[in-house]
Amino acid sequence: MIVTLQIHRYVDEKKWIQEYKIEITKGLTILSALHEIKAKQDPSLSFTSSCRSSICGACAVRVNDHSELACEVLLDTLVKRYKTDVLVVEPLGNFRVIRDLIVDWDPKYEKMKKIEPSLHPKAEFTVQTGCKQSIEDFDKYKKYAGCILCGSCVSECNKSALNEKDFLDPFIFVKAAKLVEDSRDKDHKQHLKDVIEAGLWKCFNCQECTASCPKDLDPAGAIEKLKEATFKLEMASSVGSNHAKAIYDDIYNTGLLDESKLSVQSEGFISAAFRVPIAYRLMKTGKLDLFEKAPVNKDISKIRSIIDIAAKEDK
Amino acid sequence: MSTEISRRTFIKGGAAAGVAIAAGTYFKWEGNNIPKNVRDGNVTYDVLIIGSGGAGMKAALEAAKNDKLKVAVMTKMIPTRSASTMAQGGMNGVTGVTDPDDTTESHAFDTVKGGDYLCDQDAVEYFTETAGKIIYEMDYMGYPYNRQKDGSFHQRKMGGSSHARAAYYEDRSGHAMVHALFEQCLAKNVEFISECQMLEIIRKDEKLSGVVAVDMRSGNFISIPTKSIIIATGGYGRAYWIRTTNPYSSTGDGIAMGMQLGIPFKDPEMVQFHPTGLASNGVLLSESSRSEGAYLLDKDGNRFMARYAPKAMELATRDIVARSIETEINEGRGIGEGLHAAVYMDFRHIPKERIMERLGQVYDLSLRFEGVDISKQPVPIRCSCHYSMGGLEVDDYKTTATRVPGVYAAGECSCVSIHGANRLGANSLSEVLVFGTVAGKSAAEYAAKVKYEGNLEVLKAARDQWLAKFDEVTARTAGTPVVEIRDKMAETMWYKAGVYRDEQHLNEASKEIDALMELYKNCYVGDASHTYNTAFMNYIEIGNLLQISKAIVLGATARKESRGGHSRKDFPLRDDKNFMKHTLVFKEGNTYKTEYKDVVVTKYQPKERKY
Repeated sequence: MIVTLQIHRYVDEKKWIQEYKIEITKGLTILSALHEIKAKQDPSLSFTSSCRSSICGACAVRVNDHSELACEVLLDTLVKRYKTDVLVVEPLGNFRVIRDLIVDWDPKYEKMKKIEPSLHPKAEFTVQTGCKQSIEDFDKYKKYAGCILCGSCVSECNKSALNEKDFLDPFIFVKAAKLVEDSRDKDHKQHLKDVIEAGLWKCFNCQECTASCPKDLDPAGAIEKLKEATFKLEMASSVGSNHAKAIYDDIYNTGLLDESKLSVQSEGFISAAFRVPIAYRLMKTGKLDLFEKAPVNKDISKIRSIIDIAAKEDK
Repeated sequence: MSTEISRRTFIKGGAAAGVAIAAGTYFKWEGNNIPKNVRDGNVTYDVLIIGSGGAGMKAALEAAKNDKLKVAVMTKMIPTRSASTMAQGGMNGVTGVTDPDDTTESHAFDTVKGGDYLCDQDAVEYFTETAGKIIYEMDYMGYPYNRQKDGSFHQRKMGGSSHARAAYYEDRSGHAMVHALFEQCLAKNVEFISECQMLEIIRKDEKLSGVVAVDMRSGNFISIPTKSIIIATGGYGRAYWIRTTNPYSSTGDGIAMGMQLGIPFKDPEMVQFHPTGLASNGVLLSESSRSEGAYLLDKDGNRFMARYAPKAMELATRDIVARSIETEINEGRGIGEGLHAAVYMDFRHIPKERIMERLGQVYDLSLRFEGVDISKQPVPIRCSCHYSMGGLEVDDYKTTATRVPGVYAAGECSCVSIHGANRLGANSLSEVLVFGTVAGKSAAEYAAKVKYEGNLEVLKAARDQWLAKFDEVTARTAGTPVVEIRDKMAETMWYKAGVYRDEQHLNEASKEIDALMELYKNCYVGDASHTYNTAFMNYIEIGNLLQISKAIVLGATARKESRGGHSRKDFPLRDDKNFMKHTLVFKEGNTYKTEYKDVVVTKYQPKERKY
């Protein structure tokens, strides 16, 4: 079967889409297709790759609007998935493009430095004697140690697309979760503080990162883990965490969500005061009644028991 | 067409609408990735490390301990993309945490025997005494070791080792090492000069001036003055191009440049063929497959290793297993034909949970490229070029200094001669850490006591020459395409200087490589842009690989014996009387010559190798 690859080209400020045709053979990945095109059709097509066994992270690109590790995905799989013989290949999203499919990693490394991404070993450990850790404690973070820095997650991140300046890339949250879950580290609070400052509560929770991670690391889950840790370590005092706490309290107390109170509880009285015009408009149209008594869900006892069970399991 | 809007589309649309100019990701590259004063060659470095794999980053961390020194790591890719990340099995080092009976003597003996007595034994002793300490140090740096009950890292037994001494992270040990080192580099603010392809090391009148490189992103040609250089550019497995487990980047760049400086290429013929590459594309299935108990089967399902290594069976050293597989295929007991011939590796007797826990990567690769679920079916495998034992001669293992003052070498590009004629599994990660540390420390000590004596004018002139060469080479509109030269080179190397070698084929190989070198002079690159010109990068890499191939063939022709990774059909036995010697290939201008140097023997007299 012959497949058409529509590749987004960008060379020296010129941008265009170029079509290449290639025959699907056994084991033909996106990366081997790119190499074959470069070898036989167009030496100027540019991309990066190194290990071709999904461990170095150099070759991630976007195909039909989803990020993929090029060395890992068979053309055949994509053709079947999208039921088409035309595949669109473009560079990763939320990166600066240098040329064709090549993107710039420098800004990402600068961001990584914000979370102090290395282990701060506990005082009882030394360079000469190493560290100790139980098998159970190793299991808590071992998954996160598998990140290959391919950038697939941030490529699809909606929060980063909207504004990446006040937010970390999902893989950096994974790195942070790794440190916070690592029993050898003494500075969980320090790493968390850095993460909160760098936008932990700004995640949209859209799960794109988790869906696109070729190593199944669940970056969105890592972000949730970090949020949980802020409560456990009593570091939850931001709008985001207050918002989460307010929702929790509401559900626990009444079994219902009272949106009119959320703003005050999340942001505090002063910040919430700026929302008065909205409240006024809502009242005017009858959508908000300050004097209405908050109702209580009739199944409140069931709801509480579910919450209690979840809390117990979490411990 | 469906008008249904998914949650994904809805959120994506919302986010895109929020970013008024979402397409702002395309922009003109100004070349600001490298600071202007560095770009202009006005910053003199104390230690410039070329290569950002395990050896390069460990050296950088060590050198950067002296905060008065200006240290940087230059890499043709970005950090964490190197061959080190691909190492799977683990890192050897005697600690006794899993097997209290292990000793450094045992590690040394295993290494020397595994290396078929071509190791320099003083270097091996130093290595085995230091390797255990490095395992603890990496624990402190955050390496995510798999643990055992007492809380220590767990160590497993690898092929050719007599004890369990490889500490590891699942089957991604190199990946974990590289990322732990990279985290440390970020924390210590180590300077990286990323995506710069080194072109030449400039030394005139016995004075080191610096390095000329092309910054891939901007296309600027830059010259960097430095007092010392650590070459840590990795191996040369790509001489066999598609028949290798190595990444695309393992093109022996540092070795070619070192040879140009007058540093000999030591034991180039010693190339390791890993027995278990995937049949279809040479991608590696980890050695841990065999250490976890996988069997090797011929087409009738017999464990053929019983004929070659009745005691060690599948756990014999790589060279022995590789030759056994080739012999099985040659004698008609394999499956498939020609380039697609193979034997089977069988995991069916290993519980699926253990496969998934310890061999996840092996499972994934087999499924993807061969369509085989290894818990249900055996997977076809065959040999693939895996490791370069040879490399730039290191004059003194205690410093990793080469014979050119100020130039050091560490990792796979170097030949400290701890691997001899064949490397043991899990000795390479330990090597890069042990000798990366030594290199960083010695280069820093050297740089702290010498003045920069290079010549900036010479350096800048060399840079301008490279720029002119770039324009000339990339402007060509005809000639043999680089890729064609590459593929012919690989074919020559695989069939005539591969697992089995003999005089006649090696002579043919020599002539063919010479002819390719001629074609290379006027070859066609096909891309004239200065921005991230990977076609030019490939041109440089293939030029380096041709020199490497030439040296492999020279070394292999001169070594009229079989030892470790080097198997001569016409000289099937080891010849200790004449060849307890290292090959040294020198390059002078465009001529190559071969010399020899005695192997250092301390405790272990050569014996026949049996497993």
